[in-house]
Amino acid sequence: MDLLTLEKVGKNYGKLEAVSDLDFSVTQGTIHSLIGPNGAGKTTVFNLITGMIRPTSGRIVFNNEDITRQEPHKIAQKGIARSFQQTFLFMEYSVLDNVLTGFHMRNRAGVLREFLHTRAAREADKKATQQALEIIDFMGLGPLRDELAGNLPHGHQRALGVSIALACDPVLLLMDEPVTGMNPTESNEMVDRIQRIRERGVTILLVEHSMRVVMGISDMITVISYGKKIAQGLPDEIKQNRQVIEAYIGEDTDAA
Amino acid sequence: MSRPLTTTTNTSDIAKRVLLAVICAVVLALPWLVGPYSLQLFILTMTYGMLGLSFAFTIRVGLPRFDSAAWWGIGAYTTAILMTKADMSFWLTVPIAGLVSMAVGYVVYRVAIPRGMMVFLMFGLVIALAIQQLFGSVEFFGGWGGTEVMKPPAIGGLVFDGKRELYYLGLSFLVVNLVCYYALMHSRIGRSWNAIGQSLKLASSVGIDVVRYRMANVLISNFFLALTGSFYMAFSLVAVPATFGLHKSLNVIMYVVIGGIAYSLAGPLVGALILAFVPEYMRVASEYESIITAVVIILVVIFLPGGILGWVNKQAKPWFIKVDWTKLLGRAKKPPGPPGSQ
Repeated sequence: MDLLTLEKVGKNYGKLEAVSDLDFSVTQGTIHSLIGPNGAGKTTVFNLITGMIRPTSGRIVFNNEDITRQEPHKIAQKGIARSFQQTFLFMEYSVLDNVLTGFHMRNRAGVLREFLHTRAAREADKKATQQALEIIDFMGLGPLRDELAGNLPHGHQRALGVSIALACDPVLLLMDEPVTGMNPTESNEMVDRIQRIRERGVTILLVEHSMRVVMGISDMITVISYGKKIAQGLPDEIKQNRQVIEAYIGEDTDAA
Repeated sequence: MSRPLTTTTNTSDIAKRVLLAVICAVVLALPWLVGPYSLQLFILTMTYGMLGLSFAFTIRVGLPRFDSAAWWGIGAYTTAILMTKADMSFWLTVPIAGLVSMAVGYVVYRVAIPRGMMVFLMFGLVIALAIQQLFGSVEFFGGWGGTEVMKPPAIGGLVFDGKRELYYLGLSFLVVNLVCYYALMHSRIGRSWNAIGQSLKLASSVGIDVVRYRMANVLISNFFLALTGSFYMAFSLVAVPATFGLHKSLNVIMYVVIGGIAYSLAGPLVGALILAFVPEYMRVASEYESIITAVVIILVVIFLPGGILGWVNKQAKPWFIKVDWTKLLGRAKKPPGPPGSQ
């Protein structure tokens, strides 16, 4: 089933076409990678899907529902979560508190009950904490649970970003360059985690520069350049695609 | 994070409680401890402190407001007009002033808030100027000369026309304001506000309706600004447009910055206290007052970026008894976490 479909999606900034005539679908239960040289428009596509910017043309359909003009928080509530390329975290909260914000949407006992601190509210709180700790352990941040997000080294901040996205219990997880800046060991661990996330039933749309990672885990790859789709297919097809190779010449890809 | 199973009373807890008790005693006994002129300054300090509280309140969601005095004025004028022209009881005008402030605020800000901090800030500047102009130009409000003199509020036989009565009236308003703000900041809605204040993008990514929560925050701030205006009328008995201008709105920002912007509850009060009394004790010609105030502000911003309370917090920790100011003073630095934490 096509979980997410972009139909002729375009985004113009005046005369600059950041994204034009983009058509692709993400099949449920797969890891779908979106690749392309720097400046191709990949993060723009993510911003369009999550509602942070509006397309100037086209439609975005998620779970058979048109989400083209929806607001970001509504889209998040529908089951799309995202990790960011830049570090957006609640810097003054601890790792645990950061992840707990993801549970804000769910596990709710109801506003009044929470205000009165009823048994139901406290149970919900406990459950949320438990699940948050599971996610934190899963992402390898266990011992850092009380550390302030602002104090973490960059790699851990990235992992925290992914943890927060997981806490939202998403149907579709958008990951924007999750392994950038990681050494090969960390990179392998992250790849392993991404696969385990997929095993739990989460569909993943991945933007990543490391070709090794992309070719290794993708079920499907879409290649864009200058805002346009230039290829789509299985990893082996993409590897040999002439246009893709040309688009990347001169590009500093992580071949390691 | 779970609470410790045993509660041990250590030195810092005792120190905290003693300090709190002393402060409460002084605050309650103040009318008997100082002369009438100083008491008047304290009343003004409480008023300006409350304005500062409402500024600090919206800063928490990343919205600096430049129009505090305008809504203060709307509250004041609502009370003044209702009492002088409709002969309404003071106590009834208070909630009405609050509601008027919220209603007008909603109409104005529903355009601004979805468009972000800069637009909100600009709107604030425009409102600050426009509201003062409105009060001055419209005859119904008494024009630039101000409204008619209203009667002081009364409950039964007790009339609030003396400095002492007004002090306690002001203190009641202040306490209600503090309690409400504290409760809100530590509620679920408060946690969403904290998240919004720390990262707008991440907050909406986890499903928080940023616009709606910000609007709620600003409207609540409006409500209490208006209440402060109602109280101010009980004190001043006449509403004059000159009082409620941009100048005052900017002063309000200074109280919060000097007190310490991270301290949402105590910061504005400390800042207002300092700015009310320092010029008094300088005892120079009043032309120099503005310059001295400006110098104080500049010095604080340069040397004490965390404000007075930020500095105190640093000093108190290492060598004095470890007093945990954080919860006591409503410090934002380590905000209350989401459900299940602390």
